[in-house]
Amino acid sequence: MNSRVLYVDLSECKSRVEDRRDLFESMLGGVGVASQILLEESKPRIDPFSPEAPIIFATGPLTGIYPCMAKAVALFKSPLTGNLGETHAGGHFATALATAGYGALVIKGSALHPQVLKIRDDRVELKTASSLWGLGTRAVDEALAEPIKTGLQSIAAIGPAGEHMVLYSNVIVDLHHHFGRLGLGAVLGAKKIKAISIIGTKSITLEKPNAVKAFYEKIEHEVVATDKMLKYHNLGTPSNVLELNALGALPTRNFRERRFEGAEEMSGERFAETVFRRKVTCTNCPVACIHLGAFTKSFAPEHERGRSEIIKEELVVAYNYEPMFALGSNLGISEPSRILELIELCEDLGLDAMMTGSVLAWVTEACERGVLDEKILGIKPKWGDPDNIYPQMIRRIAESKDPFYAKLAQGLVKASERYGGNEFAASLGGNSPAGYATGYGHIVGTLVGARHSHLSNSGYSIDQQIISGKAKVDDIAEFLVRQENWLYVLYSLVACYFSRSVYTPEYVVEALTTVGINTTKEELEKLGMKVFHNLYKFKMQEGFDLEKQYIPKLLKELDTPIGRLEPQTLNKIVKRYIALREREGLKISREEKTLADLLLPSDKD
Amino acid sequence: MEIRNPARCIGCYSCVFACSRHLFNVVDPTRTAVFVELDRKGGRAPKVSMCRFCKEPECAYACPHGALQPLPEGGITLTPSKCAPCTTYDCVEACQYKVLVLDREKKIPILCDRCGDCAKYCPHNVFWYTEAPGI
Repeated sequence: MNSRVLYVDLSECKSRVEDRRDLFESMLGGVGVASQILLEESKPRIDPFSPEAPIIFATGPLTGIYPCMAKAVALFKSPLTGNLGETHAGGHFATALATAGYGALVIKGSALHPQVLKIRDDRVELKTASSLWGLGTRAVDEALAEPIKTGLQSIAAIGPAGEHMVLYSNVIVDLHHHFGRLGLGAVLGAKKIKAISIIGTKSITLEKPNAVKAFYEKIEHEVVATDKMLKYHNLGTPSNVLELNALGALPTRNFRERRFEGAEEMSGERFAETVFRRKVTCTNCPVACIHLGAFTKSFAPEHERGRSEIIKEELVVAYNYEPMFALGSNLGISEPSRILELIELCEDLGLDAMMTGSVLAWVTEACERGVLDEKILGIKPKWGDPDNIYPQMIRRIAESKDPFYAKLAQGLVKASERYGGNEFAASLGGNSPAGYATGYGHIVGTLVGARHSHLSNSGYSIDQQIISGKAKVDDIAEFLVRQENWLYVLYSLVACYFSRSVYTPEYVVEALTTVGINTTKEELEKLGMKVFHNLYKFKMQEGFDLEKQYIPKLLKELDTPIGRLEPQTLNKIVKRYIALREREGLKISREEKTLADLLLPSDKD
Repeated sequence: MEIRNPARCIGCYSCVFACSRHLFNVVDPTRTAVFVELDRKGGRAPKVSMCRFCKEPECAYACPHGALQPLPEGGITLTPSKCAPCTTYDCVEACQYKVLVLDREKKIPILCDRCGDCAKYCPHNVFWYTEAPGI
């Protein structure tokens, strides 16, 4: 078990290593360990941009050893939601950190000038990087990439959006992966860290090499030779487009509609036929879910010195379902090359594509409804962007100079508070929901999830079971709790969400045995619950109030395949969820409870 | 044992880690006899390389101590006791394909023993492996 934690203090320009065997033994790794460190290191109600605010990156006991265990997790205080920041990235980050000899990395303090944090095994240095400040993530990666024959390098970089502390700026990992969604880019930007480069050239030792080899063979077969992960291998998540559209659950034009006339054109199938180039993957993952598409772009006119442009350059960018929905159907855009161009722009600037798409969708609807005055804006965005103004708007969000765009850079909640139109700002718990207009499960799941993501508890998946008659709306709260308690075991390993059907409790127990950790399914489930409770403790400490979360009318009364959602039913599910969690001993509600309130609806019958 | 379809490589390092598991009982991106070098932007396939089992191995000819010897079927064999004291690393320099790499810990070349694990765990059949008759 790799329990060495590297603590880096940017203000003091110092680092130290501590063996936190206690933590790794009790909490496995990943979110488990990071949540303990977050509670230790983060003062209550801390300003997410203050130097003392910590960022904790963690790997797990199976990192590098088994397939689909290449994720690293980062916990921090989110400047976007004001509470928990939790984000998982693939690429080479986790394995590079583990082979550099660390189980976790904790960053505190703040640099005076732009710096790059370079870790090469035991060598940890801060290098002045003023020349990289202002660059896009692509150029940063190119500058920091080292020619290495063996060993792993991971580069996690912020773009201009992170520098300007856009509250939903991402950290782009190895060009195609992200610590996304909740503003880690801005937190690194505040600390003046342009990038983290990790090179690992050490061994991950195996206590029982023969047991590892035997289990590897078994689990690799599950990953590669069964259809459990085939979806991700073939078309990848973009196969959702046609499935959801057929179901009537593809959010279109700011969640207003749930079928998109351009679905065929923006489908995963069409992307595969037209723009697809290659697949790439995380370290030690044979699945390769990252699909790269190519689009051509004219050189900027100034490069041609006034002559007509005939030469175009080809750019390659990763596409998957969420950014395709956010910058595609949700904006009324269906053309693959245009969607790729918008994704690439977000990636290079270091913006979260999902929130950026939601913000643009909100602006477009607000202009349509007259909530925003186009005369003041000087532009009038329209669905499908016939005037091609979204790229320019995205750049201005990343710049955050103009007061209007600086407000947009604070996310949907703050923008709609300032300008009105919060009833159609697609936001849950301060984050923009993923592209599933499937039903109650997705809405409640995103609302109650620790990181307000569909990956918190797979709410959309019980919706799909409800649509096909295999589950009932009454099952949702129990489903979410059960999912969360197990997913946070996987997130402590740190497994990829896509491998959840491969890593069953039985296999996880077996995998852990091969690395010398003896446990049971029951113990693991308890641990998952404890990890989740830790995350909520942090959320509560930072003032999160689940019962007071605003749900916009747009989502409260969303049209879904099971009909229009009813606010009372939503409330009922949330209440039941809270009751289930409080029964576990977690304090979520801020209201004084009587004994009767704590009874579950079913207990009262 | 050879690389037949390098264009199919996705850069997952399954071969590299299979190799380090087999040869050294560890997971290690540097202690391997097969190499994956990424095109970070992802526009091109990674470069995959390994020993070509030359009939006339430059590495063996360059070895000043006779520690590396050519094998009749191609490729080389290593006598660690003859190799260990050497610090010239002429063999590494001699390899035209740059696929002879020193083990970080033992400072002797890492030799492919043709176990086939890289081929076995490659999800895209980049490698071609067959049991050679008579070996």
